[in-house]
Amino acid sequence: MNCRRVTGPERCGVKRMAPSYAGRSHGTSKISGNGLTGCLSSEVICMGTNADAAQEPSLLTRMLIGRKPKRTLVRIVILVAMAFLGRAFVLLPVKVVGPSMSPTYLDHSIHIINRLAYLFHEPQRGDAVAIRLLAGGHIMYLKRIIGLPGETVAFHHGQLYINGRPQEEPYVVSRSDWEHEAEAVKSNQYYVVGDNRGMAYDDHDKGRPTRDLIVGKVLL
Amino acid sequence: MKKWLARIILLAVLGAVGYWGWTVCFPSAEKVIRTRLETLAKEASFTSKEGVLAKAWNATLLADYFTLDVRVTISLPGTEHSIDGRDELMQRAVGVRSVLPSLKIDFPDIKVVVAPDKESAVVNLTARGKTPEQKEFYLQELRLRMIKIKRTWLINEIVTVRTLSLNRIAGQESCLCVATRERLRV
Repeated sequence: MNCRRVTGPERCGVKRMAPSYAGRSHGTSKISGNGLTGCLSSEVICMGTNADAAQEPSLLTRMLIGRKPKRTLVRIVILVAMAFLGRAFVLLPVKVVGPSMSPTYLDHSIHIINRLAYLFHEPQRGDAVAIRLLAGGHIMYLKRIIGLPGETVAFHHGQLYINGRPQEEPYVVSRSDWEHEAEAVKSNQYYVVGDNRGMAYDDHDKGRPTRDLIVGKVLL
Repeated sequence: MKKWLARIILLAVLGAVGYWGWTVCFPSAEKVIRTRLETLAKEASFTSKEGVLAKAWNATLLADYFTLDVRVTISLPGTEHSIDGRDELMQRAVGVRSVLPSLKIDFPDIKVVVAPDKESAVVNLTARGKTPEQKEFYLQELRLRMIKIKRTWLINEIVTVRTLSLNRIAGQESCLCVATRERLRV
């Protein structure tokens, strides 16, 4: 173990590392002065032998793989497995393309979809959801649910009506003069639309995807 | 004990290699169709480096993927038009290549459903096209009907579809999100 006198900030750093060395090498190092947290006048006294020096990994090795490589490996495997499983079954990072959900979700912003959001309950009105296309899930729609199964959805002068009653939509900032006659939402369907109601009605994609096409709810 | 274990592992490996070899030598109809469509996307794409003759020649190569009586129905906002027959389709393909400097097409999602008789299939796919002028790519959902003629899968019908509104016209603006594993610049 290299022995040298340390002072100032560097000394504090060394001092914090010293106890674990002491524990591993059975007291080959000790700390004098104001204890573990004080950095006033203490100094590290190293009393290691050459044999100890040979066993002790370098600072770089310790930083990269730690003092116990096997444990580090297990941690890495667990972390990778968790990341893989989380990515595959729980959280889906997506990139938004298009203006129909602005200003809530802006073009080119990145968000996380929670795939397990509807594991124990069905989608609710107001949920922003990812909807996969018929061919697969690499590209999806990002829309907001406004109509639930069995309801009727209509727009008059840009105002949303569910079962003939006007609805509050705090996420809508601008409204165009949308007109759409009452449309029944069948069972197992959800009426979805974007937040950007300032767009022309015909330019805005909306509709009634079935429940199985809803991938999950926007988490972040 | 170790000998038995080694034999079991060896058998498992041999089984896996055999299965892999079988799937390579005798691919399923779904895999054949998928591969064929991916090749079609590559051949339908072209770059600005291609000369006029090369573009025209490459366009004619697309004919190998369609039946003689292929029908393409394209529904866009306010309009709907169709293409009847392979000859007309090839003319359109040559026309597109003469107008656009380059075009890149791919199919990020392909879903194949093969009929029980293994002689026809319905394919839902997402087509993605990008030209140099566009910042974003153009997306279109398509439904293809493919039939097997002389051991070759050919496209017999192409129809534009829309997930949100199968009864509504296609081409509307929408908000899409792209799974980032694709690492797409969209």
